[in-house]
Amino acid sequence: MPGFDFSNYNRNAALHARGVPLPKATSTGTTIVGCIFDGGVVIAADTRATSGPIVADKNCEKLHYISPQIWCAGAGTAADTEFTTALISSQLELHSLSTGRKPRVVTCMTLLKQHLFRYQGHIGAYLVVAGCDPTGTHLFTVHAHGSTDKLPYVTMGSGSLAAMSVFETQWKPQLSEEDAIKLASDAIMAGIFNDLGSGSNVDVAVITKDKTTLKRNFIRPNEKSAKLQSYAFPKGTTAVLNEKVIKKNDIGRYVTVEEVPLDEEKMDVDT
Amino acid sequence: MADRYSFSLTTFSPSGKLVQIEYALNAVNQGITALGIKATNGIVLATEKKSSSPLADQSSLSKISNITPNIGMVYSGMGPDYRILVDRARKVSHTGYKRIYNEYPPTRILVQDVARVMQEATQSAGVRPYGVSLLVAGWDEGIEPEEEEDSDDSDDSEVKKPTKKTGGVQKGGPMLYQVDPSGSYYPWKATAIGKSATKAKTFLEKRYSEELELEDAIHIALLTLKDNIEGEMNGDTIEIGIVGAPADHLLGIDGVDGAVGPRFRKLTPQEIEDYLTSL
Amino acid sequence: MVGKDCVAIACDLRLGVQALTVSNNFPKIFQYGDVFLGLTGLATDVNTVSDVFRYKTNMYRLREERDIAPRTFANLVSSSLYERRFGPYFVSPVVAGLDPKTSKPFICGFDSIGCIDFAKDFIVSGTASEQLFGMCEGLWEPDMEPDALFETISQALLNAVDRDALSGWGAHVYIIEKDKVTKRLLKGRQD
Repeated sequence: MPGFDFSNYNRNAALHARGVPLPKATSTGTTIVGCIFDGGVVIAADTRATSGPIVADKNCEKLHYISPQIWCAGAGTAADTEFTTALISSQLELHSLSTGRKPRVVTCMTLLKQHLFRYQGHIGAYLVVAGCDPTGTHLFTVHAHGSTDKLPYVTMGSGSLAAMSVFETQWKPQLSEEDAIKLASDAIMAGIFNDLGSGSNVDVAVITKDKTTLKRNFIRPNEKSAKLQSYAFPKGTTAVLNEKVIKKNDIGRYVTVEEVPLDEEKMDVDT
Repeated sequence: MADRYSFSLTTFSPSGKLVQIEYALNAVNQGITALGIKATNGIVLATEKKSSSPLADQSSLSKISNITPNIGMVYSGMGPDYRILVDRARKVSHTGYKRIYNEYPPTRILVQDVARVMQEATQSAGVRPYGVSLLVAGWDEGIEPEEEEDSDDSDDSEVKKPTKKTGGVQKGGPMLYQVDPSGSYYPWKATAIGKSATKAKTFLEKRYSEELELEDAIHIALLTLKDNIEGEMNGDTIEIGIVGAPADHLLGIDGVDGAVGPRFRKLTPQEIEDYLTSL
Repeated sequence: MVGKDCVAIACDLRLGVQALTVSNNFPKIFQYGDVFLGLTGLATDVNTVSDVFRYKTNMYRLREERDIAPRTFANLVSSSLYERRFGPYFVSPVVAGLDPKTSKPFICGFDSIGCIDFAKDFIVSGTASEQLFGMCEGLWEPDMEPDALFETISQALLNAVDRDALSGWGAHVYIIEKDKVTKRLLKGRQD
């Protein structure tokens, strides 16, 4: 995204100095994890977005599409994870069209770290990058300052400690696909229940060399119970001072659309 | 001020012609024939893959290109110029559209963007016009032709009958455009560009009908090529791209809400062979 | 707020400089074709941002010869706000409308740097957002008819702003259905 617009920066700094509170950005408090298994990789995330102590979104999506076989789990500033992954996805798609090859996970990871390093941590995206490509199965973490790690199992976000405790006690090499999904979702559940920044449901993405399967709301341990009674107000409860109804059909009365017969093109030089 | 002396290469002749553009069209008219046919449920783009030498590796050559998942392109004229335009078209579909609206551009918008690139080359200093004509085929979301008529009947209003028509392009479905070196573009039901364009168009005029299905269109495309081709026709010497039903098997993703496969895809040599044998 | 084949969007009418009320007729909802945008935050930015999107949607309509769809508009808002990631407008927008093709309700909200919150039920924003969260969480139910939706969103808004010193002074409520839009001015406390 070459081309941020800084024209409000000085004004905002001045406003802030005079006591206007800076707007709160939505953050994905978040537990995200990734885990390699025999024949692929699984990543998982919770679905809570927070704005300070307020739950801004109870069922947001933190698993981001990069390419069919590369997906990212994002923690940190929600807008940054969303747009950074979208930008790199776009770059990788163009790259893959012009090379005629499938995008590689290392390429994605390198583009991400170079982008984030350039912004010196001001783009607050903390990502788990996972995927399968012709060179094999890969799992990385990328931090906002641009550092990366390559590990068989990873956790990030405010719930990373809770999630890592599950991995450290239960992970073993050469997991099967089912066991890896179970382990990853257990790790997310640990975050959901023990970290206040994480909550609601578990999203899982399973990437194998053939395809990606997204399991949105794979586990929903926090369903809101249905209301047993209703607060519905009878019609006419609210005092109305003025009412205006605009109907689509009425607009048509004032606008007419006519097909204009086209004369032969006389302007074009060529035919 | 070195650029003071770098005049535009395309300068009006006293009679009001831009001869450089006409020369560019000449380059196109010497190019290998490419054609496009719009059907009710899709589009076919077809061209011949000719090589100057039997030693050339045919499988590495590709003349039909994906631009977005739903839009494809073929050319007649100069290959190197075409590849520049393909890159620009792909790039502009992301920078000028997808990164803003998070969706791919409709065919007409993409065509306009490419046409602008080609027009700029007719009015800029130090460049020459592109020596290609393009056929751009795509599928747009919107009201598809059949739906449109249905929804028009259901109106039961008084004085002014409101129609779905906005005088504009809320229309969805298959779209086929030709773009010329001048930057002008035309929508077509079926057309051909290149060496035997005139002959091919006469052929298409005879064969075309409004109720064409994609399979018929592919058939007609092959017949038209057959009429205008010198060498042998097989999976390696013909290239075909189609806009059809979403190819969900090419998506590679399960469980994503609203994800549909690409509509534009190139036929494999094997698929082309199959069509040729049933000709 | 989402109802059955309809959506509603509402705002209060106060404009103030901290505790000093400057105007009691400052609507914060703007219409672009069939899409509605609500803007809370710094008034100068509400004006600027609403103008920016009027310009952008008008350019879209001229270029594409069609009105912008709510989802497309939401992505436009998002990318426009994120462009100012390091010098944002002090606004938190809300978008509401019906999908032109399927007529399904669409609502979403944003933070000031463009992160979209897609919700199936309701979106709140502004100084009374915490009160609104509570009201909506309690009052909202699925598949409300337009009349019920109007009462629910109106009561949620009126009672929330009564507990926020910085909001109130009447309200505008839009109920958006497939072939009509109803705009109502509500009677609210003037203190």
